[in-house]
Amino acid sequence: MSAATAVLRRFKFSREVVLLGVLIVLMFVMSLLSPLFFTVGNLLNTSRFFVEVGLMALGMTLIIITGGIDLSVGSNVALVSVAVGFTYAAGLPLPLAIVFGLVVGLAAGLFNGLFITLLDLHPLVVTLGTFALFQGLAYGLSNAEAVSDFPDWFAYFGQAYFLNVVPGQLFIFILAVVVVWLILSRTRFGRYVYAIGNNEEAAHFSGVPVRRVKLALYSGIGLLVGMAAVIYTSRVYTARGDSGLGLELDVISAVVLGGASIYGGSGTIGGTVLGVLIIATLRNGLVLAGVPSTWQVFVLGVLLLVAVFLNEFFRRREE
Amino acid sequence: MSLSDDPGTQGAATVAEALPVFRLQNATKRFGGVTAVEDVDFDLRPGEVHALVGENGAGKSTLMKIVHGLYTPDEGTLEVGGEAVEFSSPRDAEGAGIAMIPQELDLFPELSITENLFVGRHRPRTRWGTLDQAAMRAEARERLRSLGVDLNVTTSVKGLSAANQQIVAIARALVGEAKAVVMDEPTASLTDREVQQLFRIISDLTSGGVGVVYISHRLEEIFTISDRTTVLRDGRHIITAPASELDAEKLVNLMVGRPLNELFTRSPHSPGEVALEVRGLSRAGEFEDVDLVLRRSEIVGLSGLVGAGRSELAQSIFGIRSPESGEIRIDGADVQIRSPQAAMERGIFYVPEERRSQGLILPFSIKNNITLSILDRIARFGFLPRSERQTADRFAKELSIRGAKVSDPVSRLSGGNQQKVVLAKSLAREPSILLLDEPTRGIDVGAKSEIYRLIDDLAKKGKAILLISSELEEVLSMSDRVVVMREGRITGEFGRGEANQQVVMTAATGGKNRPAPELRGNEASEDE
Repeated sequence: MSAATAVLRRFKFSREVVLLGVLIVLMFVMSLLSPLFFTVGNLLNTSRFFVEVGLMALGMTLIIITGGIDLSVGSNVALVSVAVGFTYAAGLPLPLAIVFGLVVGLAAGLFNGLFITLLDLHPLVVTLGTFALFQGLAYGLSNAEAVSDFPDWFAYFGQAYFLNVVPGQLFIFILAVVVVWLILSRTRFGRYVYAIGNNEEAAHFSGVPVRRVKLALYSGIGLLVGMAAVIYTSRVYTARGDSGLGLELDVISAVVLGGASIYGGSGTIGGTVLGVLIIATLRNGLVLAGVPSTWQVFVLGVLLLVAVFLNEFFRRREE
Repeated sequence: MSLSDDPGTQGAATVAEALPVFRLQNATKRFGGVTAVEDVDFDLRPGEVHALVGENGAGKSTLMKIVHGLYTPDEGTLEVGGEAVEFSSPRDAEGAGIAMIPQELDLFPELSITENLFVGRHRPRTRWGTLDQAAMRAEARERLRSLGVDLNVTTSVKGLSAANQQIVAIARALVGEAKAVVMDEPTASLTDREVQQLFRIISDLTSGGVGVVYISHRLEEIFTISDRTTVLRDGRHIITAPASELDAEKLVNLMVGRPLNELFTRSPHSPGEVALEVRGLSRAGEFEDVDLVLRRSEIVGLSGLVGAGRSELAQSIFGIRSPESGEIRIDGADVQIRSPQAAMERGIFYVPEERRSQGLILPFSIKNNITLSILDRIARFGFLPRSERQTADRFAKELSIRGAKVSDPVSRLSGGNQQKVVLAKSLAREPSILLLDEPTRGIDVGAKSEIYRLIDDLAKKGKAILLISSELEEVLSMSDRVVVMREGRITGEFGRGEANQQVVMTAATGGKNRPAPELRGNEASEDE
């Protein structure tokens, strides 16, 4: 019992509780802004939008814990979307086109990983380069055209409902959350991720295969991006070179808001999921309130700065 | 203790009357639960050399960091020129005329000598408001000339010899019009002749009225140069006495607090088959053509000056740096080791010198540190097993890591306990070849003696051990064989019977007339 109260006492001030509070307040404010917000239909519908960001945020959490970052995820969504759409349009059966898209996502991530580990370059610079490179490739290959004559069943990934209300992709997301959470908190690989983020040199001296772990992480987020891109393409039913434009902002904001330190070493999947929910609520609420999308980006920028401040606040309090 | 330990009444008559440059009284400094210095008095008079000695971890550096404004004492007062002061940064201390030349020189290697001298200082301006480079260069040249050296002040510092870098650091301290200069192990990487040059500079300084605090492990230097000597042990002030009242043996006993032979543990063990053999190992700029043999149940001491390439050699064997040529054989078989993982699979483990940056993940718990190198062995299908905690408990107990639970972060532990965690981590891996790089550096005497017992025990159990150490007595007392490196090459190898301070230091420095340091100060000072 005393253990339970100790847990409660610690929990009272933990970041997760603060984030949960923020989420609840946010939802309350949104419901005042728009009477539509607090309907079951809308809440579940919101999940349609956050699954894509959420999948990428899971991978981004691990990368940020190692002290790295991947700025190219949004561009990679476009690349995968174009890869699926245009190979299908060129005659490849859709299931194979989807598999091809996933392979492209993975390969793009692997490309980042190889550059970062083999040449010992900073991930910020490498993925800033591939951010432009993937985007350019997606535009160039699609010739700024769009593909949208997919067969009906393709809608399954992004538009299906279970029991008429629960969006299908929510299940994929929940499964991914469980898997990544297990990896980070219960496996050797997860321990390595934290070790690298806290002290890469000591990790190397301790026999942690630093390069292999990083390679796996950047490839892994590539695969998650592939999945997100397929869901995205299915949801909007169109493959275009500007799919996923700017999504890296939502993804990184969610992870930092969730408490992962941008300096590496700390972060949790629970925090990231809350971060994703807060950003999705904000986006959805702003849409319902009729705020134009450009101003939504402004609000996200403010949120990211607040998150960084909050992280610093928590870090100093811990010391 | 028959000698007076009152610092106020002793000392050379010529400086006894003068007001001290600074006086520290009842200084106490704690870090978490660890008390680094306790109730220590220390003062420095104008024109004297005041030696500060003590074992690693005795609190010498902490004390001087208080004087230099890097640490604020938890208790006690600091007076400069008779007035109480509170420094909140080294800048304050330097403003009050107290300069520090740390062991690891804080120069900027890419900048020129001139730029280094003026970093953080007032720089002369031309009437256009730009920096007056010519004036700065002239002053830099003048400063160096007054120290007796003539260097091109526009060259970058990284190309200078260790001695010249030292001189630049001293010149830099003097740009701030220092009244007191603290030198922390200034001769650690100097040759004999350069040491003489440094002594000449120090005596020039003191005859100009500057007080010098001289921290050194080399006792014969202390007897040569100091007016007074203060001994610290385990953070406490033991004695302050004129150099004339101390001799080497007395000093060592005061420093260690017990006869030396009780510190070390050595039980009989006889070296067996060759476990590790290195032939012609080279890596440009670090070490060259190194041959080395380690046998089972053998402790080989690797001695040499700082920068002789010992750590680099060990790290190459461990797969952290790849050697450019040469062979490594384990149990007689040629092996290629390209990563620490590969080395560990071959039964090699390296305990690094830099335990905080290379040996430990400081925010991690004791448990997570101990098991970090064996996760590949204990994980089941990649998942961490429940038995991880018991494993960690077992090794924490074996090393008697005290005052902490295995779930506590290692950042909270004392240096000695942190080092025990690093050793626990290496033992968990059950290596047959253990490379220990300065395993007792900066830890207290109690933990030291436990680590010596552990090393002895490991040798008895058949492990091949390479003991890299800059402490001669440690190497001489623990090793079956002593190998000496100088400037990247093996320059001497001595059996247990033949190794002594004299021959090891001669091999380490390359000089013939280099006196044996540390233990034999007096009898070996015939080259004065």
